Amino acid sequence: MLSEKKGKTQKTKIIDWSYLFSLFLSIVLALLVGALIMAATGHNPGKAYLALAQGATGCSSIGEFFTSVFTKRQFGNTLEYTMVLTLTGLACVLGARVGIFNVGGEGQLYLGAICSAQVGVILSGMSPWLVIPCAVLVAMAVGGFYAWIPGVLKVKLKVNEVITTIMLNSVAIYFCSFLSNGPWQTTESTRRGGTQTLAGELRFPRLIQGSSLSTAIIGSAVVALLVWYVLSKTTTGYEMKLIGQNSRFSFFSGLKVDTITIWAMVVSGAICGLVGMFEVYGVKGSYQDGISNDFYFDGLLVAMIMRYNPVGIMLMSIFFAFLKVGATGMELIAGVPGELYRIIQAIVIFFMAAEKGISGLVKANVEKSRAKREAKQRLKEETV
Amino acid sequence: MNGGIVLQETVVKFDHITMKFPGVLANDDICLDIKKGEIFALVGENGAGKSTLMNVLYGIYEPTGGTVYVKGKKVTSFSPRNAIDMGIGMVHQHFMLVPSFTVAQNIVLSQEPRKIGVLFDSQKAEAAVRNLSNEFGLKVDPSAVVRELSVGLQQRVEILKALYRGSDILILDEPTAILTPQETDELFAMLKKIVREKGMTVIIITHKLYEVMAISDRVGVMRQGRLMGVEETKNVNERILASMMVGREVIHNPFTRTYQPGKVAISVKDLVVNDNRGLKAVKGVSFEVRGGEVLGIAAIEGNGQSELLEAITGLRKIVSGDVMIMDNSIKGKTPGEIRRMGLAHIPEDRIATGVSSQADIADNLLVGKHKSQEFTRFGFHMRKSAVTKYAQDIFKRYDIRAAGINTRVGILSGGNMQKVVIAREFSFETPVLIISQPTRGLDIGAIEFIHSHIMEKRNKGCAILLCSADLDEVLRLSDRIITIYEGKITGEFMADEITREQIGYYMTGDRSREDVNDAV
Repeated sequence: MLSEKKGKTQKTKIIDWSYLFSLFLSIVLALLVGALIMAATGHNPGKAYLALAQGATGCSSIGEFFTSVFTKRQFGNTLEYTMVLTLTGLACVLGARVGIFNVGGEGQLYLGAICSAQVGVILSGMSPWLVIPCAVLVAMAVGGFYAWIPGVLKVKLKVNEVITTIMLNSVAIYFCSFLSNGPWQTTESTRRGGTQTLAGELRFPRLIQGSSLSTAIIGSAVVALLVWYVLSKTTTGYEMKLIGQNSRFSFFSGLKVDTITIWAMVVSGAICGLVGMFEVYGVKGSYQDGISNDFYFDGLLVAMIMRYNPVGIMLMSIFFAFLKVGATGMELIAGVPGELYRIIQAIVIFFMAAEKGISGLVKANVEKSRAKREAKQRLKEETV
Repeated sequence: MNGGIVLQETVVKFDHITMKFPGVLANDDICLDIKKGEIFALVGENGAGKSTLMNVLYGIYEPTGGTVYVKGKKVTSFSPRNAIDMGIGMVHQHFMLVPSFTVAQNIVLSQEPRKIGVLFDSQKAEAAVRNLSNEFGLKVDPSAVVRELSVGLQQRVEILKALYRGSDILILDEPTAILTPQETDELFAMLKKIVREKGMTVIIITHKLYEVMAISDRVGVMRQGRLMGVEETKNVNERILASMMVGREVIHNPFTRTYQPGKVAISVKDLVVNDNRGLKAVKGVSFEVRGGEVLGIAAIEGNGQSELLEAITGLRKIVSGDVMIMDNSIKGKTPGEIRRMGLAHIPEDRIATGVSSQADIADNLLVGKHKSQEFTRFGFHMRKSAVTKYAQDIFKRYDIRAAGINTRVGILSGGNMQKVVIAREFSFETPVLIISQPTRGLDIGAIEFIHSHIMEKRNKGCAILLCSADLDEVLRLSDRIITIYEGKITGEFMADEITREQIGYYMTGDRSREDVNDAV
């Protein structure tokens, strides 16, 4: 009986169904609480959620969704934001895999954005086939370098990376603000602050007119696939996983723990820099202050909620982008303040954090009903 | 105390105790009476449920079924606080002492004598401890700082702590695991004395059967959560107990061996290494290990042997001196580089260093070989099928008991976890093996398995450096033995020319008693 029981618990599951279920449950609970808040503030929750869906997809009926969703401006925005969250989330995963927490993505993103924008300004007039690769390289190099600093500090001097990366965020953001309002400021009379607007041929073509969705999504998909491949299918991903799980064991086993940790941080920063470049070349057309609206922190939340699972992050990003973009629709159509989106997001995270408790409850219930069934079975057998 | 006197009064009664953890039945319907004034030994393999049962008595766990009676009263609320009030004291395997406090402060903690209601009265505390120590004949210096005491003395402080709280039922969880043979003898004499003179009841949990024979009046054997039987110690012997524990006769026979050492494979010269605090832990040690021999290190924990092995394997910096592995200096090299010189290492702390407990068995078996052509394509793409095949083969060959190769290593028992470590390290087929505490905390079956694998490596010509807290293990496996005390080598012997007791004296740096022992 003992060995039988052990066998049951020792099986590792490929898909953690109970986790997915409790995840689903917490999302539903969060939406319910959101509905309560709306009802309490005198809004119709049903209408509001419909408006949310409408705001995120641009479709007012299911039929329309199937026929023309890919032409809708709002849907383009949702996809674009999904892409941003996926990339920033994966950047966070790269660090987390080796046990280093990169909270400095925001700064890396800003630096990548402004430097790549300036590359476009300096090289303006040259072929996009030259300028774009240069901009990509510069954005990744700058972002990577900016993540290298806390990485080295962590590895060589054991400086806590959470503190350094957070502080470096402010340094980067204010430095960019200085550049864009000083040496690199645009001379255009229509705008104040920000870098010079990029020439039209340098900007990524829009995939849906009027939306912020550009061909950058193709680049993003490639990067996301690469990250997933490296993490799950290569020796490097295997080594990263072991280092994150037990760095002493990894060092003992002969892995280059320090080198791999620093490189993971550098690549994480490089991806953040790339997101900044995509934002400039794909959406805004120039660097402007506040170019990232907490993109990295949103991605970080998604990564944490999905427990740093790359595929999970891609899926969860859709949900979060849907909420964020749809919030505008909710505001315009149903008159619900867009801030409610923030509340719902916070509640979802809250319930995620309580996920352990919720899944524990689920497990306990399953166990209870199983015991009851067994008892009934035994009773039957005994009476027979 | 045993023999003629009929022991009547039951002080502790376990009535159909069942303790269920998720997926594990740790105690299965246990009925056991402990009599007043006896020394009761509880033996069993690891995971047999001995500690769980005692933790129930001490109130750490509430049993999922059954009742506990202490001195005839039913236990209704389970907490250590309550257990202490009922006169139960427990000395854990890992001491629960505040290292920076004095002996007196540690003993009176939570029941301190006070001045004007709030101030700690250190004089009264020391006097109380002195009285207690005289009363029971347990000599300690009340004003000594605990950090500076030997392990044996610290254990004595733990016992006094329990006595101070008025315990008359004392539980000792593997008390001898960290003691030298001499300290063990002292402990046993002391226990017998307090039982005889004060009418105490002692329950002792242990792995070591000769200790059961030496000290207990009665013995209970546990296996897989069940109590297999309770016997008067005088009616059994080690062989009977061993077979009750594992369900088959197990005795450690000596290995037959021929000693033909080959080339020098490990050479340590004037090695100096610091510990974590920056103090010298290894103070100029030199020795050599040749192919085809096992050099055993006998030392009590904390005498620099851990630091020595960490330095040899690259986990710790060398201050001065040098180590040569297969004629290459390891100075300034990483563990990875040293491994490539031909070294594999079974570390003393298998959970912290030996495995990644979150990773599965396959991942743990693979590390170090994961970049070889056998398991990769283009040098970076991992061939899952090859890995699975390899892991399954090792899994079977080393008889690792788990649901499969995708089982997380963290949930394996100690023995199976160690098998994973040994399987991985032995499969590198290196000429040099550094082995530390290969069987700590393992059961007899696993020990036998691991010992024979180590001997097989030796017979194939490996140079093996073995360090173990278990003297019997060192004696059984080694060709030569060195003893280390306070970072220095105190003696070197051929294993078949020395006894446990003699080694014990060298391990404690006490060579003056050498002559006395030779006479014995």
